[in-house]
Amino acid sequence: MIKITNLEKFYRTEEVETIALNKLSMEVNTGEFVAIMGPSGCGKSTLLNILGMLDDPDAGSYVFNGVEIAHFNERKRADLRKHNIGFVFQSFNLIDELTVFENVELPLIYTGVSSADRVKRVEEVLDKMQIMHRRNHYPQQLSGGQQQRVAIARAVVNKPKLILADEPTGNLDSSNGNDVMELLTDLNEQGTTIIMVTHSEHDARYSHRIIRLLDGQTVMENIMV
Amino acid sequence: MFRNYIKTAFRSLLKNKGFTAINILGLALGLGACLLIVFYVADELSYDRYNTKSERIFRVNADLKLGENRKDYAVVMPPLAKTIVAEFPYVEDAVRLKNAYTMHVKKGDLNMIENKVAFADPSLFNVFTLPMINGDAKTALAEPNSVVLTESTAKRYFDKTDVVGKTMVINDNQNFKVTGVIKDVPQNSHFNFDFFLSMSTWADSRSNAWLRNDYSTYVLLKDATDAKKLAGSLDGFLLKMSGDQMKSEIGMSYADFEKSGSYFRLNLTSLTDIHLKSKRIGELGVNGTVQYVYIFSAIAIFILLIACINFMNLSTARSSNRAREVGVRKVLGSPRKYLIAQFLSESIMITFFATVIALVAAIAVLPLFNQLAGKDIAITTATLFWLIPVSVLIVLVVGSLAGSYPAFFLSAFQPIDVLKGKLSAGFKGGGLRSFLVVFQFGISVFLIIGTLVIKNQLNYIQTINLGFDRNQVLVIQNAYELNQSTKTFKEELKQLPGVTSATMTGFLPVSVNRRSTSIYFKDATLDQKKSIFPQSWEVDADWIPTLGMKMVEGRNFSKDRLSDSGAVIINEAAAEFLGYKNAFGQTLYNSLGGKVELTNTKKYEVIGVMKDFHFSSLHEKIEPVIIRLAENNGAVSLRVNTKDLPALMSQIKSKWATFSPVQMNFSFMDQDFDASYRSEQQVGTIFIIFTTLAIIIACLGLFGLAAYAAEQRTKEIGIRKVLGADVSAIVAMLSKDFVKLVAISIVVASPLAWYCMNLWLQDFVYRIEVQWWVVAVAGLSAIVIAVATVSFQSLKAALANPVDSLKNE
Ligand SMILES: Nc1ncnc2c1ncn2[C@@H]1O[C@H](COP(=O)(O)OP(=O)(O)OP(=O)(O)O)[C@@H](O)[C@H]1O
Ligand SMILES: [Mg+2]
Repeated sequence: MIKITNLEKFYRTEEVETIALNKLSMEVNTGEFVAIMGPSGCGKSTLLNILGMLDDPDAGSYVFNGVEIAHFNERKRADLRKHNIGFVFQSFNLIDELTVFENVELPLIYTGVSSADRVKRVEEVLDKMQIMHRRNHYPQQLSGGQQQRVAIARAVVNKPKLILADEPTGNLDSSNGNDVMELLTDLNEQGTTIIMVTHSEHDARYSHRIIRLLDGQTVMENIMV
Repeated sequence: MFRNYIKTAFRSLLKNKGFTAINILGLALGLGACLLIVFYVADELSYDRYNTKSERIFRVNADLKLGENRKDYAVVMPPLAKTIVAEFPYVEDAVRLKNAYTMHVKKGDLNMIENKVAFADPSLFNVFTLPMINGDAKTALAEPNSVVLTESTAKRYFDKTDVVGKTMVINDNQNFKVTGVIKDVPQNSHFNFDFFLSMSTWADSRSNAWLRNDYSTYVLLKDATDAKKLAGSLDGFLLKMSGDQMKSEIGMSYADFEKSGSYFRLNLTSLTDIHLKSKRIGELGVNGTVQYVYIFSAIAIFILLIACINFMNLSTARSSNRAREVGVRKVLGSPRKYLIAQFLSESIMITFFATVIALVAAIAVLPLFNQLAGKDIAITTATLFWLIPVSVLIVLVVGSLAGSYPAFFLSAFQPIDVLKGKLSAGFKGGGLRSFLVVFQFGISVFLIIGTLVIKNQLNYIQTINLGFDRNQVLVIQNAYELNQSTKTFKEELKQLPGVTSATMTGFLPVSVNRRSTSIYFKDATLDQKKSIFPQSWEVDADWIPTLGMKMVEGRNFSKDRLSDSGAVIINEAAAEFLGYKNAFGQTLYNSLGGKVELTNTKKYEVIGVMKDFHFSSLHEKIEPVIIRLAENNGAVSLRVNTKDLPALMSQIKSKWATFSPVQMNFSFMDQDFDASYRSEQQVGTIFIIFTTLAIIIACLGLFGLAAYAAEQRTKEIGIRKVLGADVSAIVAMLSKDFVKLVAISIVVASPLAWYCMNLWLQDFVYRIEVQWWVVAVAGLSAIVIAVATVSFQSLKAALANPVDSLKNE
């Protein structure tokens, strides 16, 4: 599904140039559950953002489902993104002015799903995340665990083929964290490819494979049993 | 402490360069425009106030009603000035001015044409403040054939100002002694002359006629409060003075005169009201209109409001970005006072910079503005005297007003709310801000509609069918110079190829100088109730074809019919006033003056009716006009039809030279017409410039707000994009709020503008309607402007990589 070769990303500030990704190559197959680990600042988020087409690489190749997209502009990427990828962030990134229901509904609006279908699908996914009773609440009125469940609901409502999660449990206690990991595992079992950044060895154990990064390069891959 | 505020304010302003630039620029633009208008309005209001006795000077006016005819004069009877001083002890002095219009003055061998010449009584320098540089103000105008020059005129003729005792030759053969040189008459005076000739030179000035109005007369009261008393006594005074003449000349007592529905009254206009409030027959110059002073003051206030609103909006919008900073500061123990002081210093500092820029800019463009406005405003020490305090006041008032909302609003945040993010609600939260945007755009829509209506009306005036053809008509203004030979000159010009026709008369539909009225009675009973008091003009048989007038009934005069010397042609307005169904063949009795008796009249037969034509301001209705055949050599007008105008002109000039050594003075009729509407055009141009400025300033504000709305919602935009929103969805989302506000402002402002502009148009007798498309165009442009402004910002946000927006937390 994903194949990157010699991917590079630099950040230039006034004084220094940071190499966030240094000729990184890797591959992820459909149906895999991959964890990315590494010390802070090694480029995990940068990698995930590029994989998720939120950002563009400075050099290298990125083939997504057989299409080279490294040179795509934001417009084309947006189109590919909205049909294929769901995101889960450490800080949830829910829109404060919208209710739980409306937050989850957004991706469906952007892919042009009819209003009746939207209600059905949002309710279905809220049910599955056990957050239905909070559908009319605003994000600030929810606990962190609940907020992350809403964020996951929003990520999966469009039935994406790939879910990217950046430290999904980073802001949660261990019990809430485990719930989230269970949800991701379920989704993976139903056929969704998942790439997750985490600092937690415990969470990483839910995955099939761990990619370890150091200074923007792959240092090791562990295949989980 | 204060230095600390300034330092912090400086840093904060530098950190947000874009915001600071928009804020300072918008405010400077607004203040600068405002300042120019203030200059303009101050100038209009300053008219005649240079006179140290201005409070005590009043002009005497005469109102005359004859049957159904009403005339309001700015001039009164020749003996009034002298008599009024003798009659009323509280009248200290009086002075008469009489416009001498055009004269020519010898400079070496050349005869210069001078248009700013007046006869004046010796008391001129006692009543008005016209400081004498050379000569004795008390006696300068006492002797006949004395002339007082203005400084620049003296320099023009003699290259110096100590010219008392020199001789000037006026109108070829009259020798005048220069008895004084005064400072130039200030530009803000309702009269403006270069030459003051002693009144005693003018024999008519000694006339004792109480039944005609032709002298501008000003009284100087000992005490301004006596004006009411004087005004109340004037009618009795007039009756006493004119009663005998009325009986002997009209053959009627004033009581009978009044019984027949007529009257003859005097009243006063205070000197300082003349420029803005007086529009009478016989004014000494073109006066202004108080309405424009109001309109421009309103625009100045609008512009200032828009600029201040921008300032407040931008400051508060930005303040939400600084909410966290405030929260942290408060947690760290900063007292509220400190925060308020900090925000106020920032805002006062911005206002200070803006004011400095505005002052410099306004003074820099003043010459250009003068040119557009037809003004001569200069920055003098007197200006600085009010300008500097006003500027300081502006800085303090506008600065603290605009800064107060963010200062108090922000400093009142509870730190915990801020840190919890409760105040990150963004643009939608600003109810006051929304109101202000509506207000601002309401004003813009109002001004757009106003501009379009004014532009259309001015256009209409320029293109209106005047009832005659003003194009391709050359007017030789000083044809009277040729005395008896003017007619021969005219006939010879007619022979030139390229001259279609020529007419000899000073009565022309664009010149304002040559007008004459006369009474005509409908029948031999000579009943005043059946009289008409029209413009009575002397023309020749070529007048109608040369000017391209149209006949609606009857025929033009014919040179070959001797009987036409007893014929008149009237215009439609006269026919209507006289109630004629069939004008042809009707008779009219023209009063020749003296007692109202049949022997003192001349009988005329109406041989035709001309289509109405405009000859005075389009503010007024077309007056009745009666024309008759007579030799009046005031001017010669030619209808020309040639491809080579310069060649024709030189032919005409050399023909003129064979008749007279004086320079030929000519103009084109269409240019004369344009000149008579120049002040309207100028006002229109200024209006359009300032409304455009107002709109630009409003847009600048919207631009800034949109930028902030986008910035405030960066994170939201990022999230939405991650979720699949495309560029158009983001732009629509951001623009929607603004478009809604602008739509509301259109709904509110359009009816108001419609109403006000109709009110303005009422002042024109000949006017356009406010068309619906004007409102539609205004609304549409407001939307387009708003969307364009906002889209620019939204697009920027929408096209960015989503990850950039997400990081900016
Ligand atoms: N916008 C930016 N400008 C400059 N440098 C950046 C920018 N974003 C990231 N970096 C740098 O790029 C490198 C990789 O950052 P990245 O956010 O990918 O790290 P990370 O592995 O996700 O770290 P963490 O585990 O702390 O989230 C870091 O050194 C970081 O400082
Ligand atoms: Mg990270």
